[in-house]
Amino acid sequence: MLSPFEITLIKSLEVGREYSVEEASKVAGISKDAVLKAGYLLQEKGFAEVKEVVKKIYRLTREGEEYLKNGLPEERLFNILKERRKAEISELEKEFGKSFLGISLGWLRRKGAVEIRDGKIVLINDNVRFKEREALRQIAEGKWDSVPKDILKTLLKRKLVEEEEEKEIYIIIKRKPEVELKETIADLTPDLIISGRWREKEFLKYDVRIPSKDLFVGKTHPYERIIRECRKIFLEMGFTEIKGHYVQPSFWNFDALFQPQDHPARDMQDTFYLDRYVEIPEDLAEKVKQTHENGWITGSTGWGGKWDIKKAKQLVLRTHTTAITIHYLAKHPEPPVKAFCIDRVYRREAIDPTHLPEFDQLEGVVLDENVGFKDLLGLLREFFLKMGFEDVRFRPGYFPYTEPSVEPEVYVEGLGWVELGGAGIFRKEVTEPLGIKGRVLAWGLGIGRLAMLRLGMKDLRKLYQPDLGWLRDCPAIRR
Amino acid sequence: MPVVTLYWDELERLVGVDRKTILERLPMLGCDIERVEEDHLDVEFFPNRPDLYSVEGVARALRGFLDIELGYKNYEVKKGNWKIYVDPSVLEVRPKIAGCVVKGLKMSDELIRSLMELQEDLHWTIGRNRRKMAIGVHDLSKVNFPLTYKAVDSSFSFVPLDFDRVMSVEEILREHPKGRQFAFILAGKDRYPMIVDAKNEAISFPPIINAEKTRVTESTTDLFIDVTGFDENVDKALNILATMLADRGGTIESVEVIYPDKTYVTPDLSPKRMRVSKSEIEGLLGFKLRDEEIKLALERMRFGVEKIEDEAVEVLIPPYRADIMHEWDVIEDIAIGYGYDRIKPEYPQTNAIGATHPWNEIREIAREVMIGLGFLEVITFTLTSEKVQYDYMRRERPKPWEGFVPVMHPLTEEHTIVRTDILPKLLEVLSLNKHHPMPQKIFEVGDVVVAMKNRLRLAACVTHSKANFAEIRSVVQAVMKELDLDWSVEESDDPAFIEGRRADIIVKGKKVGVFGEVHPEVLENFELVNPVAGFEIDLTDIFDCGELI
Repeated sequence: MLSPFEITLIKSLEVGREYSVEEASKVAGISKDAVLKAGYLLQEKGFAEVKEVVKKIYRLTREGEEYLKNGLPEERLFNILKERRKAEISELEKEFGKSFLGISLGWLRRKGAVEIRDGKIVLINDNVRFKEREALRQIAEGKWDSVPKDILKTLLKRKLVEEEEEKEIYIIIKRKPEVELKETIADLTPDLIISGRWREKEFLKYDVRIPSKDLFVGKTHPYERIIRECRKIFLEMGFTEIKGHYVQPSFWNFDALFQPQDHPARDMQDTFYLDRYVEIPEDLAEKVKQTHENGWITGSTGWGGKWDIKKAKQLVLRTHTTAITIHYLAKHPEPPVKAFCIDRVYRREAIDPTHLPEFDQLEGVVLDENVGFKDLLGLLREFFLKMGFEDVRFRPGYFPYTEPSVEPEVYVEGLGWVELGGAGIFRKEVTEPLGIKGRVLAWGLGIGRLAMLRLGMKDLRKLYQPDLGWLRDCPAIRR
Repeated sequence: MPVVTLYWDELERLVGVDRKTILERLPMLGCDIERVEEDHLDVEFFPNRPDLYSVEGVARALRGFLDIELGYKNYEVKKGNWKIYVDPSVLEVRPKIAGCVVKGLKMSDELIRSLMELQEDLHWTIGRNRRKMAIGVHDLSKVNFPLTYKAVDSSFSFVPLDFDRVMSVEEILREHPKGRQFAFILAGKDRYPMIVDAKNEAISFPPIINAEKTRVTESTTDLFIDVTGFDENVDKALNILATMLADRGGTIESVEVIYPDKTYVTPDLSPKRMRVSKSEIEGLLGFKLRDEEIKLALERMRFGVEKIEDEAVEVLIPPYRADIMHEWDVIEDIAIGYGYDRIKPEYPQTNAIGATHPWNEIREIAREVMIGLGFLEVITFTLTSEKVQYDYMRRERPKPWEGFVPVMHPLTEEHTIVRTDILPKLLEVLSLNKHHPMPQKIFEVGDVVVAMKNRLRLAACVTHSKANFAEIRSVVQAVMKELDLDWSVEESDDPAFIEGRRADIIVKGKKVGVFGEVHPEVLENFELVNPVAGFEIDLTDIFDCGELI
């Protein structure tokens, strides 16, 4: 595809003939710059050759121009001497100046025209020829090629002539395009569309390999994408999404889950406690108290010792979403219930690449009458399959509020078997005091762990301390 | 959770199989293998199984699990002539004590190491860092029976372990390394628990330190073990220690503990009995097991099966099992003994219709609008500080509880409260990202906590060399339009923004948000050099965000 200038140029010039830029400019009727630009573009496309020739050019110096006009000093002295035959040096010095006499006398002596005898200049040869003036004229006319080499050399030496190098550019059209040449369109304008004139033209072809400016797109956080994927899976499996406050009484975070009050997980070491106490439902508190102390009617021995309601009333930043699921089940104790929660939880941990003081957790629960451990394993297998983990296996696990407990592992290419969350059936010590009818299958996992597997992240801090460079580089699609 | 180091030569010898089999099957018993080395492996056992905190305990469990030695293992206790008198003075301080004598041990390095590690793990787990239970191990030949367990005052003195001089209780708590470490347990007390022998010489100052004179050495063959504390955990720990030493070839002799009102004989290594209903087994596991399968599974887990009736199984629970509180605990062991890998998963038939929560639906819509406007989503911590939330923003600090929620014992100055606003978090993000190309347009839609309740906020800001009020007003206009809200603005007095370039967003006569050009002093506080314009809207009351628990 040729630009308008290229087309004009190639149309105007004869094939095979060498044009200087100036000539081409005249013939084609476009500026010298346009000729040059078009010439190089045509050369790239194989239609033309651009030849650069370095030439020597000569021009007269100021002195040279003066001598061309008035004659060279020696010539003038020779003419004087032809009249006077001889003359006193001192006389001539007075008459013409010392420097003129010096130059002209020197050159006349070199040519063997004069002699100096007793302070007088004597002409001894009348037939001296002065080719220099003729040479100056020829150079002034640009015909330096016809000036003899030795004379040119002398003139250069006498600084009557200067030498310069000049690059001359010639354009030779090698061939013309076979198809008919049309004018091209750079920008398609409304005018071109409305008038239909675009039909007579061709579109200028761009170099599609050249990148354009980078754009920064608005997009979903990659972590949010994972959460969205998990939500979708839960919803597809018929689970209802639930949500709860970050601030919860210890009762729902620990006691209702049969966590003994002196359990290490309840230490202020690991939990963000708040210096605030709230009321908790008394009837539930009494049943939970009995269960902790002696098992109440659950068939359990309980933990023994004394259960202190004050500890249950203290607020915490919830340490797990189970604080929400168990409260939800207490409010909806009749089976069947399928619920899930994906939300922020807190642990009193110093920040490092794999430990954060807050992170997101997902949790699912199924409450039904005739479900058991094998159903829990079935749920887990289905859930992980939907997450893209085809191989799942189960190992015994331990969580204070489930029995039996299980640690699922998924097979990840390149990593092998990776533990992914925990699961179990809520203990009777958990469900019975809250009046939950049936068995509760529950499982949960940290979304950060999924992010590590999905996004190949080694440093979880990146998720909550955003680096815009990383976010901008994170593709929307996940492979 | 305690990590137990198991040496291959001991473990292979005690179990009687090679390491490959052990490595393969051990996880299916319930543990996480942390590290495998040439001479040992580190295994994390669960906190409900302190009986596995020694190589002896692991070997016992594995021999059952691998069908080498099935069923209940009987531990004999010979009646000994050892007495501990419990003085009423100690009942207020640390009321419970139990003890046992173990004779005929070969005190190898291996055994001493295993015993000490077990002791420490039990202190940490069952003992809750010695608060609930503490153990003392003594060379029996150095102990003059009968013993008295009593309370003494702080001037009572003896030579504590690892020291060569007499120290008073007060000195020990102040100067002895163990005294300093565990003084917190006895803080505020003026009487201290002490076990003294027939010569009124201390042998142990529980839960702090033993006396030097009863130190166990390589030539020790007979041990006396005391366990003190508050409840049944004392007996659980003693049983675990006694059975572990019995497995090492020791002969267990009983100790009589004489309280003012009654007398106990410890340790009690007889099995507990539990009836486990077969329908409960089938219900909880979700599938039916044949009688012989139940029996084999239980015996693999070292339970005894006394009889299997039509309705129930009568199970003997070994004395070292500290975790069996409920029938279901036994049923879990049946599942483990049967093999988790042999259970056929089945998707439950529970029928329910799924539904999203409105809170997250609104978040999704807000997110869609902001992304359409070219904003990049960020997620930030909700933990923050008053400094960033209010001081940096030139805003007045609200009252705690009515406004923000302060956390107790924060770990860093940066995380002292839960955020009540998102905009300061976004400015923090910008200050961390100054090196990235402009313009930067970010948003977050998420939770803040005001007056202890979650609220749903949408906040966004834009920064570049020409960011201004008009730009953010356009964004707010677009957002309000897409959220289909009737709204108006009023001039705002929010000091976070430049006067005359700030506006409150009013919906139904109530202020729900604010937008404007961020005040240059705020920019300085966040070390920002480009202008920033931003907004924040509280969506909680504008929309039905659903029920929060």
